[in-house]
Amino acid sequence: MVFGPIPNREYHEGFMRKAIEMAEMALASDETPVGCVFVHNGEVIGRGINGTNASLNGTRHAEFVALAEIMAKHPSSILKETDLYVTVEPCIMCASALRQYRIHAVYFGCLNDRFGGCGGVMTVHSDQGVDPTYPVYGGLFREEAIMLLRKFYVQENNKAPDPKPKKNRELKTEILPVSTPNMLTPAAMPTVEVAKLNLGKPAKSG
Amino acid sequence: MEQVRSFTAKVFAHFPFPPLLRHVFHFQLHLLAAFNRARHAIMGLPIDSKAASLSGEARKRQMLHLKTKEECRLGNETIQVWTVELPSKHAEGILKVIKDNVEHQDAIDLQHLRRFAKPKYLPQHVLGRRDLVKEMYLVPQAWEASAPTVMQMPDATWEWSTASKMRTNNRPPTLYLMVCPSETISLRDLHDLMLQHPPFCSSPDSWAYPLEIKEITVPRLAPTSPDQAKNWSDMYWPTFYRKTNPFGAHPTTIEKAETDLQTPLEDNISVEQALELADYAGSLTEKEGFGICTGCAIVERVDDKTEIIAVAGDARRKPLPSEIGVDALNDNDDANDTSITDSQDGTNVPISANERTKARREKRKKKKAAEKAANEAETSGCTSGNVMSHAVMRAIGMVGRKRLRVASQPISAESNFAAAGLEHNEEARDAFFLDLPVNPLEQQYFEKDNLKPDGYLCLKLEIFLTHEPCMMCSMALVHSRVGRVIFKHRMPKTGGLTAETVSNDTGPVGLGYGLCWRKELNWQFTCWEYNAAGKRAAGDGTADDNKHLNLLPSCDNANVGKLSFNSIHV
Ligand SMILES: [Zn+2]
Ligand SMILES: [Zn+2]
Repeated sequence: MVFGPIPNREYHEGFMRKAIEMAEMALASDETPVGCVFVHNGEVIGRGINGTNASLNGTRHAEFVALAEIMAKHPSSILKETDLYVTVEPCIMCASALRQYRIHAVYFGCLNDRFGGCGGVMTVHSDQGVDPTYPVYGGLFREEAIMLLRKFYVQENNKAPDPKPKKNRELKTEILPVSTPNMLTPAAMPTVEVAKLNLGKPAKSG
Repeated sequence: MEQVRSFTAKVFAHFPFPPLLRHVFHFQLHLLAAFNRARHAIMGLPIDSKAASLSGEARKRQMLHLKTKEECRLGNETIQVWTVELPSKHAEGILKVIKDNVEHQDAIDLQHLRRFAKPKYLPQHVLGRRDLVKEMYLVPQAWEASAPTVMQMPDATWEWSTASKMRTNNRPPTLYLMVCPSETISLRDLHDLMLQHPPFCSSPDSWAYPLEIKEITVPRLAPTSPDQAKNWSDMYWPTFYRKTNPFGAHPTTIEKAETDLQTPLEDNISVEQALELADYAGSLTEKEGFGICTGCAIVERVDDKTEIIAVAGDARRKPLPSEIGVDALNDNDDANDTSITDSQDGTNVPISANERTKARREKRKKKKAAEKAANEAETSGCTSGNVMSHAVMRAIGMVGRKRLRVASQPISAESNFAAAGLEHNEEARDAFFLDLPVNPLEQQYFEKDNLKPDGYLCLKLEIFLTHEPCMMCSMALVHSRVGRVIFKHRMPKTGGLTAETVSNDTGPVGLGYGLCWRKELNWQFTCWEYNAAGKRAAGDGTADDNKHLNLLPSCDNANVGKLSFNSIHV
């Protein structure tokens, strides 16, 4: 997959940095290190970390945790003018929820090759459907997002009662580059990086 | 018989009245189970009540197993193969020649097809297929240079395309050998290879058996049912049904599930009862002004015994904290607690008239707030309400809450969140996720500690739904590792489970996501559409979709308002 250019990249990186910080918190509390922030008019209105382990609820993803914070204070219609910054591409479930809530745009770090709903596995954000589509931009702090996930899997394997052989639990630091026209230090997780999707270009028409 | 009928009538007559039902519903389930047993005892006798349609073949067809994405995509794929006719006594010899000499002859799994077939079992068009060897010699000069052109004219008529005149009348029995996919070896190479071996090489027999090579079409993939195998045998080539399915659940898994659900053991809940419960849950939250008329019931089956784990109705219109304020929200929660009438040991305690009035007042208050919120939502352009409160999401959430409660070691739901230094408002969070009961029916099932401790998410639980869930909810079921899902009504414009997109009879039937069984995802589950009236065929289209609202007990179209129900995410 080619991550397209993101206009005003530095601005968005600032918020993605905050999302990465959230993911680091998740890692520190033994949750899959995915973090996110929702931004409205330049202001963070919701933050979330993955919470599936603590809640024993497999649907308690970072995006939903953040939405709960938002909805405590704002009507759901605020999401129409709100952008999401999340370290890992939203899964199919979250991608659909975001569309139903009419999210303005989604910025993510790395692709989610297992469950991704915005290009990694499916394209829920742009498929034909009853709700308006939303644009997605990938590749912001991609390496950092991937490294967090790798740290987590190494950490989990070491905790398992029967840890896998040592070579499997060493932290791999080499990240494969991906063909990207505008990025000098892109990185690839061993993902199915679907080539046919142009994630850089807003899918939204109007 | 008359008794049976009036009993059924009575049971269904109760459904529209929540206050009555609150106390009798569980009892009814038991009665229905008893009724089921009685029905089995008298099976074979005609019963023309609603339950009668449950007997025999009609029952079978009520649970329509959903096709998987791959079944839809690949089910009718075919492949071209070479075939030669040869005397039976040379069959094994030639097969060995093929196996020894044709590289990758078995690279494509065609185990579902007979390797040898008697001519009498082959479709007429296979027997009459033109012989390509003859064509090779028909244009001997062109052959060397442009053989492919000759062979790529499937519609051309050939002078000698009818059966060979060279064959004698008293030939020994012959067989057709399915050699291999025609992409594996060229016609020329196969021809040359065959001519090196008896009976096709120069031998006393060879004149009687001139080499004929035909290219025929066969099903690429194994059939997934006996019917399909029979069909393909008639159309293409003798085909086996091996009771396996590489593109979906194993047929015996599906059969077992259908038996469990349609002929439940004593005291177990049946698919019909579970769906009635889901219906009822949806009709309740709708009446209370919390949501649309869709519902979900979750059942655990351990050692062949069923337990109802969670029941939830849609509550997308229940006001968010931001809409009525967190304080008001707390009031509502308190009121909700007092309206809960079931005591801890599970027996029902009648509520006093006073409490009832209070509860009604609260309900009115809540309904007003809900309407206000719904109106605001509608005017602000967001008509879908609180997406998180779809019935499936709520029910899954309740299972998680229950797991926290019955865990052998205490787990604090938000410990990690707090540990990460994030402040959070539990009331607001609960009001958003609505993974706690909102009415006595939901409470009745929520408060029972009937879930096996220390289980994982919704692993292998059974999910009963009034409607096909949206993509969000469908993927939530995947994330939660559920076992079986049964829904009543398809949602062709918003549903995430159906893999088919178009039906020959009715046109569009779904979006084609087929999330219940996708190889790309790390979890698959079996899924059925339940055909209650025995009328709705699989793949019933959009035309019918508003009708079902009238079929649901105590469901009311009004709340759906201006929206077409078709376009709603369930
Ligand atoms: Zn997600
Ligand atoms: Zn849903």
